[in-house]
Amino acid sequence: MGQDAFEITINVLKMLVIFLGIVQAVPLLVWLERRGSAFIQNRLGPNRVGPLGLLQLLADAVKFLTKENFVPEKGEWFFYYGAPVMALIPASLAFASIPLSIPIAIEPFEMFGRTFGPYTFIMQGYDLGIGIVFVLGISSLGAYALLMAGWGSGSKYSLLGALRASAQVISYELALSLSLVGILMVYGTFYFTDIVQAQAGPLTFNFLGKSVVIPWLPNWGIFFQPLGALIFFSATFAETNRLPFDLPEAEGELVAGYHTEYGGFKFNLFFIGEYGHMLVASALMATFFFGGYHFPGLTPEGVSAFWSGVVSGANANNILTSLTFLLVLLAKIAFFLWVFIWVRWTLPRFRYDHLMDLGWKTMLPWALFNTVLTAVVMFISHQ
Amino acid sequence: MLTVNDFLFYLLAAVTFLSGAGVILARNPIHCAFMLVVSMIGIAGIFVTLDAYFIAAVQMIVYAGAVMVLFVMVLMLFDLKHELKAFSKGAISGVLKLLSTGVLLGMLLAYIGYTFSVDPSFKPVPADPQHAMETTKEISSLLFTRYVFGFEVIGVLLLVIAIGAVTLSRISGGTHADS
Repeated sequence: MGQDAFEITINVLKMLVIFLGIVQAVPLLVWLERRGSAFIQNRLGPNRVGPLGLLQLLADAVKFLTKENFVPEKGEWFFYYGAPVMALIPASLAFASIPLSIPIAIEPFEMFGRTFGPYTFIMQGYDLGIGIVFVLGISSLGAYALLMAGWGSGSKYSLLGALRASAQVISYELALSLSLVGILMVYGTFYFTDIVQAQAGPLTFNFLGKSVVIPWLPNWGIFFQPLGALIFFSATFAETNRLPFDLPEAEGELVAGYHTEYGGFKFNLFFIGEYGHMLVASALMATFFFGGYHFPGLTPEGVSAFWSGVVSGANANNILTSLTFLLVLLAKIAFFLWVFIWVRWTLPRFRYDHLMDLGWKTMLPWALFNTVLTAVVMFISHQ
Repeated sequence: MLTVNDFLFYLLAAVTFLSGAGVILARNPIHCAFMLVVSMIGIAGIFVTLDAYFIAAVQMIVYAGAVMVLFVMVLMLFDLKHELKAFSKGAISGVLKLLSTGVLLGMLLAYIGYTFSVDPSFKPVPADPQHAMETTKEISSLLFTRYVFGFEVIGVLLLVIAIGAVTLSRISGGTHADS
């Protein structure tokens, strides 16, 4: 955690900020979803409470908190209460392990009559060194929230919804993991920081023994793994249980699926979990295929030189530089979140057998093909 | 002096042990399965305290994530009350149960005795998280060179199981009998 009280405090605060950031992003996303869907369907959406309807979600949260607390008569209270909490855990743990920006180097400074530093703060919750594998391991626990909710509610609709949801999640996890194998092979590592660093600068690759540089394209993973990116992004829709893959809560068939029996803030926690998964999926998409916190034309040195004209002092400069790259990543995440919402209100729902066919008979073979293709291309280009 | 690593070990060991006991003591099969999930996660945590990050993550993906989800799903689909009664009765199954627990207990006791014979001053060098990639590379190069035979044999075994499962489900009879 750190050598002294200052570093430990900052690291603990950092984790709190990341967790609260996920939780606080949810009201904004719900607002965006409702206004966005209204825009797509030529309606107005919530626009009465506060400016542009932004306070509607605050009112909703208060309503959620003041609802009656109950457990279904045939339910099991431990699973019933545990499931919404469990829904939050995988998303927040996974998001905290993604590097959000370049590390901040802090020079020694004086405070309270003592000298602190030097420190290096990484812009992520913690650094386990195994990146992708950790995120896959943690997000595979997401199915338990659904299963616990389905079992704990003691209702047929909940149970059927939970079974559908978990079958879907484990089916698409295969395609999701396999589509990332290509990225692992291209970059030769599963360490997030190395993957992001490898995507800096202009597009560079080996072709027939020559090193080719295309200066007008960024060195992003999408140019090396277009098929992998497509499969990964589609599979994350299924993993987050969103349209067109939201079979677990198909209203016409299952009322509301695994959260039929939930009300009040417990229902809201499932909501936060779903949007948390969307955040993780968008951040991973940006990290693997769209250069992470890098942007064409922005180098750490260049940004640092720009800020040195605005503020004096190395520490302020380093912090502002890191925050600039944080903004770049957040912009990319915001774009993919909008794609999630856009797709939800554009495409209709799959039928269940079509969903399983797509997962097992289309995406899985194509992900395997992508792996083999990547291996062959890499073997030829490294000759 | 209790270091952070020691504290984590005792905490995780307690969680793993208690949930493991819960697996065999709980009456409801669903509760047993969830207890098993908790003990799997506890074991993954112990791997983390040993700096085996990759093994910990694989433990989470394979056991806690895939195998146990299927277990829980299947248990939810069946009403296991009759099987529970059938399994709890009978002299032959009783002897078999005692025998298998006896063998398992003997193996465990022998292994605990073996751990005491190891030099207590031996402590593995803690690995830097940023070098987790290197230890993983070591594991994979061992798997594909020295232990490649065992690795491939396990692959064949899994293939046999998969084909066997497909064949069994195709045979008419049991729940799929044509009436």
